[in-house]
Amino acid sequence: MANTWGYGAMTNSLNDIQNAKAIIIFGANPAVNHPVGFRHLLVAKERNNAQIIVVDPRFTRTAAHADLYAQIRPGTDIAFMYGMLNIIFKNGWENKEFINDRVYGMDDIRKEAAKWTPERVSDVTGVSTQKLIQITNAYARQTPGTLLWAMGLTQHTIGSSNTRIAPILQLALGNMGVEGGGCNILRGHDNVQGATDMCCLSHTLPGYYGLSDGSWKYFAKSWGVDYNWLKGRFKAKEWMNKKGFTLARWYAGVLAGKAGEDKIHNAGTNLKALVVLGNGITSIDQQAKVKEALDNLELIVIADPFVNEAVVLTDKKDDVFLLPAASQFETSGCVTATNRSAQWRSQVIEPLYESKTDQDLMFELAKRLGFYKEFTKGMLMKENKKSFKWPEDATDEFARIIKTIGFTGWTSKRLKNHQKNWDKFDHVSLMGYGPMKGEYYGLPWPCWTETHSGSPVLYDINRSVKEGGMGFRNRFGLMHDGVDLLAGKGSAPKDSANPDGYPEITAKNIEKVLGITLSASEKKRIGKNWKVDTSNIIAQKCMERGMAPYGNAKARANVWTFPDRIPMHREPLHSPRQDLVKEYPTYKDKPNHYRVDTRYASEQDKEDWSKKFPINLITGRLVNMNGAGVETRSSKYLAKLSPEMFCDINPGLAANHDIKNGDMMWIHSPSDTKIKVKARFTYSVAEDRVFLPMHFAGYFQGEDRSAHYPKGHKPYAVGESANTVTNYGYDIVTQLPETKGGLCRIEKA
Amino acid sequence: MSSFARMKFYCDEKRCIDCDGCSVACDEAHELPVGISRRKVILLNEGIEGKEFSTSVACMHCTDAPCEQVCPVNCFYIREDGIVLHDKNICIGCGYCLYACPFGAPQFPTDGAFGTRGVMDKCTMCAGGPEPTNSDAERKLYGQNRIAEGKVPACAAMCSTKALIVGDAQSVSKIYRERVASVGHGVQSAPYGWSKAYGK
Amino acid sequence: MQNTTQKALSTRIGRRSFLKMAAVASAFGATSAFASGNVTRAATKEEVKNPFPGSKLVKTICTSCSVGCGVIAEVQNGVWVRQEVAQDHPVSLGGHCCKGADMIDMVRSEIRNKHPMVKENGEWKRISWDSALDRISKKLEDLRKTSGPDSTMFLGSAKFNNEQAYYFRKFAAMYGTNNIDHQARI
Repeated sequence: MANTWGYGAMTNSLNDIQNAKAIIIFGANPAVNHPVGFRHLLVAKERNNAQIIVVDPRFTRTAAHADLYAQIRPGTDIAFMYGMLNIIFKNGWENKEFINDRVYGMDDIRKEAAKWTPERVSDVTGVSTQKLIQITNAYARQTPGTLLWAMGLTQHTIGSSNTRIAPILQLALGNMGVEGGGCNILRGHDNVQGATDMCCLSHTLPGYYGLSDGSWKYFAKSWGVDYNWLKGRFKAKEWMNKKGFTLARWYAGVLAGKAGEDKIHNAGTNLKALVVLGNGITSIDQQAKVKEALDNLELIVIADPFVNEAVVLTDKKDDVFLLPAASQFETSGCVTATNRSAQWRSQVIEPLYESKTDQDLMFELAKRLGFYKEFTKGMLMKENKKSFKWPEDATDEFARIIKTIGFTGWTSKRLKNHQKNWDKFDHVSLMGYGPMKGEYYGLPWPCWTETHSGSPVLYDINRSVKEGGMGFRNRFGLMHDGVDLLAGKGSAPKDSANPDGYPEITAKNIEKVLGITLSASEKKRIGKNWKVDTSNIIAQKCMERGMAPYGNAKARANVWTFPDRIPMHREPLHSPRQDLVKEYPTYKDKPNHYRVDTRYASEQDKEDWSKKFPINLITGRLVNMNGAGVETRSSKYLAKLSPEMFCDINPGLAANHDIKNGDMMWIHSPSDTKIKVKARFTYSVAEDRVFLPMHFAGYFQGEDRSAHYPKGHKPYAVGESANTVTNYGYDIVTQLPETKGGLCRIEKA
Repeated sequence: MSSFARMKFYCDEKRCIDCDGCSVACDEAHELPVGISRRKVILLNEGIEGKEFSTSVACMHCTDAPCEQVCPVNCFYIREDGIVLHDKNICIGCGYCLYACPFGAPQFPTDGAFGTRGVMDKCTMCAGGPEPTNSDAERKLYGQNRIAEGKVPACAAMCSTKALIVGDAQSVSKIYRERVASVGHGVQSAPYGWSKAYGK
Repeated sequence: MQNTTQKALSTRIGRRSFLKMAAVASAFGATSAFASGNVTRAATKEEVKNPFPGSKLVKTICTSCSVGCGVIAEVQNGVWVRQEVAQDHPVSLGGHCCKGADMIDMVRSEIRNKHPMVKENGEWKRISWDSALDRISKKLEDLRKTSGPDSTMFLGSAKFNNEQAYYFRKFAAMYGTNNIDHQARI
C-alpha cells in the first residue's frame, strides 16, 4: 500500500464507514475481530442502505450480516478483483477523471483485467460468474464505497500483491480520498499500527526512515549520540544497512547449518539468544521448527504478564528466563488505533506483584549493558533537562523526530487533552466541538504541526491541508518511463497555493514550489528536506500555503521495483489446483530474504501436494480470543466460551472420513507435522476446506505439555496450536507467512 | 419512579453479532462463578446463508412472571418498575422456576459462594437483591446494583453494536423506532432539511 | 429470614409490586435478618450512589484490538474495583466485545506471572529481579563479544504503547543489530 500511494495505513476511520454507500470486505471478519468497529458498518447498512459484501473462504459472522457473500477459494483474491475490474472497465464504470489526474499505470491494469473474464475468474476462485457480476454491480455502482481487509489478504505468498490490487480497485472507482470510501485495513492488536509506525521492524527505523546511512545519521543526531559510537555497536557498518530476521522466520536463524534447513546470511553467526517482550510466538507458523529453534538457543528471555507458551513448547533445561511484565493498565502512554489516531492511556494501578513495566526492564538492561545514558538522552534534549519523565518525554521525543508520517503534532499535552475531552467529538466525522474545535479525535497522522487538526481521511483533496487534506505522496520520483508522476492539473487540496501537482518539499525547492521567500535566519535553520526538518519551517510554510510537505503526486498502479510490477495471480505454494499451478506458478526461490534463503518454486514443484493433502486449511480468530491467546485463555470468563481447541468441519467432509461431531481427529501438514483436535460440525466451511482457530497452545502434536507450565500458571484453556500445521510459505516482499492458504490431510483419531 | 413503564430488555437481531460482550460484561460485573451464565448469546443456523442469526438471552423480567407463580416458597418479588428479583435466603433451589421459565434464565450452581445450597441465581437487571442497597451482602449474593446508582445494566451498556437495549418499555421502543425511521435517510451530519434549505 | 420483609410488605402493597428494599426500608420500618435483628439502617446517599466511596475514575483504552475502545476504570485505594462504561467515547460509545468487557479480569487474573523465574536443570525456580537482570545481561554481553550482536533476536510487541515500541527499536539499535521484529509481520 505504501508503495501505491505513500503510506501503508488505514485511509479513513471506522466511524467514517458510516458514510459509505457500499462496503466490500476481503479476508477480514470485523464482526469477530473488531466487534465494536462493526457497529459503524451496521449503521451504514441501516441508514444508507449500504450493501455489505463479504468475500471470504468461510461463512463468517460478518458474512451472516452481509447482503452478498462469495465463498472464494483461499488465495485467489487477485483473480477475483481482476474479475471485478474486468466488468468495471467493460461497462465504463471507472472514474476516468480521477484515474487521469491521480493515477499512474492504470493502463497496465486494464490490459491484465481484460484477460480475467468472469468465466476464467469463476474457474480460479470457485465463485460463480453470476455472483461475481452481482457483486461488482452492487459495489461499483454505488459511491462512495469502502473496502476493508485484514490478515485474510496479507498472509499469502502474494500478500503484497493482494494489498496492491485492492487499492487499485478503489483507485479505478475513484473511491480514494473521500468520506465513506478508502482502503480500510483492520489492524489486529491494539497497537499494531503504533508499533509499526515506531518500527519494531527489522527493515527500518522509527517512522519508516529505512536503514540507509542518512537515516542512521539523522537518528544518531536526534538521539543525541555520536554516529560513530552507534556504528561501533554493530559488528560492521554493512550490518546497519541490512534488514534483519523477521518474526516469521527467526527460527531459521537458529537452525541454519542443520540438514535440510534454509541457508542464512547473518554476520557469520547463528541466532543464539532470544529476547521477547510480549510476543506470543506460538502464533507464528511452523511451530515444530520454532520448538526446535527454542531448544537450540543458548538464552531465552521472555517478559510477559502471563506464561508465554514458548517456555512450555521448549524442552530447553537451562537459561530460560520468565519475567513478570506489567500490563498496559499498569503504565501509561499513547496507543495508535487502526485509523492512525492516538489515544492516551492513563495508568490505572501500580504494577501488581513483582511485575515491572517494559520500559523499566529496558532501562535496567541498558544500564547493565552500559548504554543507559545514550539510551535515554533523547528524552532530555527538547528542553535540555537533567532528568526525564516517562512517558511524556518519550512521546515528545518521537514527536520531535518523526516527520515522515507527521508526528510533530502528537505532543503528550495535546493527546492528554483529547483523552480528557473525548466526549466532545462528533460520532461520524470525529471533528471536535467546543474546546476541541478544529481538531479531529486522536489527531490521526499526519498531524503536521503542533496546531494541526490531524488527517481523518488520507489523500482527500476536498479539504485544505490545514484541515487534514492532501494529495498522494510524491515518493517515487518525478517521472517514470517518460510519464509525469505528479498529480494532474486541478487535483490539489482545497485552498492550495499551487493548484497542480508538486514535488516533495526540500530546502532547495521550497521557495520555488511554495512561491515564497525565506528569511536569512530561516534559511540557516531549515533542514535538508521535510523528512528531517526539525526546525519545522517546511511544515509551517506548507500549512500557510495550503500544501502538503510530502508533495502532490499520482498513486501508482504499477510498482516497477516489485517482483510483479502489477499484481499477478500466483497459486499458493501448496495448491489444490495443480492444473492452475502450471498456468500461475509462484516466484523463483528468493535468496537472502531478510537474511534467510526462502523456497518458492522449489517447494511448489517438489510434488503434487494436492494428492496427499487434498483439503484446504484456513486459520483465523475467535471473538473471545486474541493473538496467541494466552492472555485471553487466562481469563476464566473468556476461556469458558471456548474451553478447548477444535476444527470447524463440514458434516459432508467429516462423513467421508467417518468423523462424528465431537470426535477427535488428526490434521496432517505437508511439513510432516500433525495435530489432534476435536471436530466441530458447521456449514460455515465448504466440503473442501477446514478451519482452525489460531489461539491455542499447550499441546504439541498430540502431546499434552501441561507439566511444562510453572505451577499455578497454566491457562484455563489449552490445546494444539493451529500453527503446528500451517504450511511453509512467505510473502515475497514482506515475508508474512502464508497461513491463510495451505493444504492438509485429515483422519479420524 | 412510579411513572416508569416496566423495564424491558430488547435484542435487535439485525445488530447482534454473537460477540458475547454482554454475557462477559455480566460475568465480570457481578464476578459470577464460572458455572453461572446469567446472560447467554445464542447462535442459530450457523453457517447457513440467509439464516444464521444470534440473539442475547437472560431473564426477561416478564409481566406475570411464570417463575414467580410456580415458586413454592414465594422467594420472588417484582419491583414497581417491573424488575423481577428473588431472595436467595428463601430460595430452596428446587428448580420449579426453571421448568416455568420460557427463556432458561434460572441458573443453578453447584459450588462457590453462590451455590452453597444450590440456590437459584439469575439476571437481576443489575438491580441487586433484598439486602441493603450496595451493601457487601447484596454484592456477594446478587452482584452490583447499578440501577440504584442510576446506571445502565452492564450487558446493554457494553453491547458492542448496541443491539441489546434496556430501559423502561417506552424508552426501548423509542430507540428502536428511531432506528427504523432512520433507515435510508443517510448519516445525519447537519440538521434535516439543512442542505435543501441552505445548500451544502 | 423468618419474618420476611416480603411477607410483611405483601400485605400492604401487593405481592407483585414490591419496591426495592433499601429504598423503602426506613419508610416501612421493616427489619432485615442480615442486620442481626437490629433495625435496618437506611443506605446513605453516598452508598446508594456509589458502592465504592472515595473511588476515582481513570480513563484508558482497551488493550485488545485496534478499534481502541474507551475503558473507564474505577479505582479505590489503589485497587481496580470495577470496570465502568465509557459511554461517551466517540468510537465505542461504551461498547465492548467480550474481550474488552473483561479487561479488569485480565489484569486481576490469578494466574499472572508474579515474580521472575528461571529454568535450571529443567525445573522452574523463583529468583529476584536483580539476579535475573544480572544473569541475563552477563549472558548477552558474553554472546555479544563472542558471536557478535547479530546473534541476538529481539521480538517486541504490538501490545507495547508507542513510547515502549519506539524505545524497544532504539534498544536493538544501540545493542547493535537489526534483528528486531514484532507481530505486524504475521
